[in-house]
Amino acid sequence: MPNASRKIVAVGAIVVLAAGILVFPSLAPNPYILSSGVLVLNYAVLATSWNFVGGFTGYISLGHGALAGLGGYATGLLATKAGMPSFAALALAGLLVAALAVPLGMAALRVRGASFVIVSIALVLILLLVFQSWASFTGGSRGLVVPRPFDLTRPEHHRVFYFLFAGLLGVALLVWWLLDRSRFGLGLKSIREDEDKAEALGTPTFTYKLIVFVVSAGFTALAGGLYALWFGDLDPVFQFSILTGSYVVLMALLGGVRNLFGPVVGALIVGSALEYFKVEYGDTPLHLVATGLLLALVVIFMPDGILPAIGDLFRRFDRTRRSSIREVTAAELRDQRKAAV
Amino acid sequence: MSLETHELRKAFGGVTALDGATVSFHEGKVNALIGPNGSGKTTYFNCVTGMIRPDSGRVTYRGRDLTGKAPHRIARAGLGRTFQLCRTFPRMTALENVLAAVPQGGLRSAKAKGDIERAMSWLTRLGIEHLAESEARDMSWGQQKLLELAGVLMAEPETVLLDEPAGGVNPALLDRIGALIRELNAEGRTFVIVEHNMDLVMSISDHIVVFDRGRPIAEGPPSVIRSDERVLGAYLGV
Repeated sequence: MPNASRKIVAVGAIVVLAAGILVFPSLAPNPYILSSGVLVLNYAVLATSWNFVGGFTGYISLGHGALAGLGGYATGLLATKAGMPSFAALALAGLLVAALAVPLGMAALRVRGASFVIVSIALVLILLLVFQSWASFTGGSRGLVVPRPFDLTRPEHHRVFYFLFAGLLGVALLVWWLLDRSRFGLGLKSIREDEDKAEALGTPTFTYKLIVFVVSAGFTALAGGLYALWFGDLDPVFQFSILTGSYVVLMALLGGVRNLFGPVVGALIVGSALEYFKVEYGDTPLHLVATGLLLALVVIFMPDGILPAIGDLFRRFDRTRRSSIREVTAAELRDQRKAAV
Repeated sequence: MSLETHELRKAFGGVTALDGATVSFHEGKVNALIGPNGSGKTTYFNCVTGMIRPDSGRVTYRGRDLTGKAPHRIARAGLGRTFQLCRTFPRMTALENVLAAVPQGGLRSAKAKGDIERAMSWLTRLGIEHLAESEARDMSWGQQKLLELAGVLMAEPETVLLDEPAGGVNPALLDRIGALIRELNAEGRTFVIVEHNMDLVMSISDHIVVFDRGRPIAEGPPSVIRSDERVLGAYLGV
C-alpha cells in the first residue's frame, strides 16, 4: 500500500475505535455490561501503560499489577486518612508512585531478561505481604473502603467512570505516540533490539530505561487509583496479584507491543473474554485455563500479535507488493516496463 | 597521541586477558592492532570502550581519563566502535539503524529532515541506500557490516575502532572496505583496527601494534612489523 492510503486506513481505524468506545455506554443494555466496559477500559489503560516499558525497551514486567495496586491504595489512603478530595488524592498518588518508581527502577533495571521478570514478580509478592500485614494502616485483608467521589446512581456512576477511563486512555496513547516518533523513543527501541550496541552508539541506556519506567509507573498508578475511586473497595489479594500483571502482559502481547493500539485491542479481546468466562463459568478456574490457552495460541501462531498478523494478511493479498526472485516487486517491474516502452 | 592506555590489566578468573598493556595510537592515522587468537585484542577494545571494566590501569583519550566510564560517555567523547560479530538492530530498517546513532534530542522527531538526509548520505556512501527501508535482519552479512559502519559514522566519532572489519567478507567487499577506511582517514578520522587479514592490515595501516598474551610485543610501520622476528614467533610459533 502506498503511504497515503495506509494513512487513510490508519486514521479510519482510529476513528472507528474511538467512536466505538464513545458510543458503547449508550448501547449498553444494562449497568452490568456498562461496568464490564469500565473494567475493559481499565485494562486498556493498564496494558498501554505497561507497553511504555514492554513495547519500547522489551523489558517484560509482571509487576505492573503492583504499581496499579500502589496507585489504588495511595489514592484510597490519601482520601480517607488525609481527607483529601478524591481527584487531588488521585493526582498525588500518581506522582508518589512515579517517585517511588525511581528507586524501584534503579534496582530492577540493573538486570535483564528473565532476571528482570523475576524481580518484577518479587515486587508484587513483597507488597502483597506488606499490605496484608500492615492492617492498622491499610485495612489488611478486611479491605479499604474508598469514598465515592460523586453522589450518583449506580448506572450514572459507571457511565462517568467509563468516560474518565476513556480520557486517561486517550492521554496515555497520546504520550506513547509522542515517544514513538521521538529520538528518545528511537533510543528506547534500540535498547529493545540490542542494549549493548545502543550503549556503544552513545545512548545512555540506563537513564532512558529509568525515565520510561517512571512514566509507565505513573500512568499505571493513575489507572489503579481511578479503579479505587470507581470500585470503592480495595483488598490486597486482588490489588497485589500476579494475575493482574499477567493479564496485562497477555493483552499487550496479543494485540502487538510494537503498535500504538496493540494493547488496547488486546485488552478489548482478553478483557471481554475474561468477563464472559467469569459469568459463564464463574465458580471454576476455567477462565484461567482459557487465558493460558489463548497465550499459548498467540505465542505459537502470532508471535508479533494480532495487529501485525492482520497487516501481514493484507499484504499477502496485495499482489502488487509481491517480490520475485529478481528482488523487485510486481509494481516496480510494471513501472520499469512502462518506462521502457 | 590520541588514544592511550597505561598498564591495562584484566583477568577473567584464572585467565589473564590483558597483562599490563601500555599502548599509544597515533592521531589521524590508520592504526592496526594484530595478534594471534586469544592475545587480548577484543578484551582491549572492550576495556577501552567501557564495555568491561579493567582490573587496573588507565585509558586516556586526548589527555582525558576515560577509565571505567560508561560506554555511552566514551562514545560521546568521540570514540565509535563496531563489534567483532557485527551487531545491528535487527528489527529496525537500515535507515532507523543509522538514525539511532543521532545523539539525544529528547522528544524531537526521530525522523527530522536533516537527520534523514545525513543518514541517507552515509547509506549512499557505503552503497546500501537501496536497502534504506529494509529491516537489518533481512540483509546479508556483508550489507549488515556496512550498515553497522554507517551507524557508527553517523555519530561522527573522531576515532573509529573497528573489530575485524574483514571478518566473513568477500574479496570485492574487502577491497571496498579497505578503500573506504583510507578515504575516511584522509578526511581526518583516526582508525584503530583489530584484524586478522594481513593483506588488509599491511595495505592500509600506518602504524601496527602487535599483541601477544595480553601485552604489546612490537610496534611500528608495516615494513618493520613484516620482518620482526618476535611477531613471526608469536604468529607462527617459530
